[in-house]
Amino acid sequence: MEIVQRFGLEAKLFLFQLINFLVIVFVLKKFLYIPLKRILDERKNKIEQSLRDAENAKIALENADQEKIKILLEAKSSADKLAASAKISIGEAKEKAVAEAEQRSEQILDDAKHKAAEEFENMNKQIGKMSLDVSGKVISKVLSDLFTDDEKQKLMIRALEKIDEQIAN
Amino acid sequence: MQLSSDVLFSIAGFPVTNTVITTLITDVVIVALVLMVGRAVSLRPKGAQNAVEAVVDYFREITESIAGERASYIYPWVVSFFLFIVISNLLAQFPGFESIKFRTLTSGSCGVPLFRAATSDLNLTLALAVVSVTATHCLSIRYTSLKSYIARFITFKLFPAFLFLGILEFTNEFAKFVSFSFRLFGNIYAGEKVMATMYNLCPLGLPIPFIALELMVAVVQAMVFALLTMTFMHIMTDKSH
Repeated sequence: MEIVQRFGLEAKLFLFQLINFLVIVFVLKKFLYIPLKRILDERKNKIEQSLRDAENAKIALENADQEKIKILLEAKSSADKLAASAKISIGEAKEKAVAEAEQRSEQILDDAKHKAAEEFENMNKQIGKMSLDVSGKVISKVLSDLFTDDEKQKLMIRALEKIDEQIAN
Repeated sequence: MQLSSDVLFSIAGFPVTNTVITTLITDVVIVALVLMVGRAVSLRPKGAQNAVEAVVDYFREITESIAGERASYIYPWVVSFFLFIVISNLLAQFPGFESIKFRTLTSGSCGVPLFRAATSDLNLTLALAVVSVTATHCLSIRYTSLKSYIARFITFKLFPAFLFLGILEFTNEFAKFVSFSFRLFGNIYAGEKVMATMYNLCPLGLPIPFIALELMVAVVQAMVFALLTMTFMHIMTDKSH
């Protein structure tokens, strides 16, 4: 009993401290640990989710890289095909254009020849007419002093008929 | 400085001692901490939440590493013991904590200290020991069944060694009250004695290394109490033990 008294042990104080601590435990559990646990769990879940997302993003990036390489290879292959077909088309187009140009030039040449022939014929006709007029005028000038007017008229008519026949032939 | 705390005054027959005053201050600090942190917990911790989270998470992780899934009902007790003991121990390290005197009818002209480390009162340390051991046994009954709990102490096997082991277990449980309460009480009380002696020898400079030592003791003793509670709870709630 003396030891108990020396240490100051007293039932009321002991009970007070016991109840006080239990109240503190209750308060801590109810108002601190539960909200903190909720937050810690939430944070843990969020971190795990973020890690999962990061892993998924990494996988998606790898897939995208592979897809990129695949697309590039396909694009290169189709570009090569297109270039090859374009080469063929250019050759064909060139040949076609040359052929068309040749055909067109031949046609233009034919047209020009034809037009030149027509022009030549017209010229001949005009020259004929002109030479007829000139001949008439020459004959009338030459014969004006040798023949009478009637004779001149007859001769002129005959000469013109002859010239006309010559031109017609 | 005497072993027992000093009675300052009485309220309806209840003796209000200087350790009771310190206990109440500890309560106020804890409640303030709870109000500060518990009401505004956020995913991005800041200020006091950082410190409290660090302590709670530290003990939770230690408990989980030892007790596994049983940690969820063990660690609240462990953290409570740690926070209560460490706060009351650290409060006593404030300079001039025991210098404020309170004059009572029996104290004479010098008076008695108004504040004294709460854990230097055996009433508190014994109460903490009783709560620790009782909670351990309650958890043991709850999580390992009453039959398994009784089998730790009383075995129906006829081999005399098992009966002797039961008696040893029984004695061991009672020894926990003494070890828990006197270890904490002894360390804190001795620390206060040392500090008082140093202040009396040379108040300027000499107490500084002892203040550092006492700060360490304050945290270490809280850790020891909390971790021992955790270990006993783990052992008592483990079905294989």
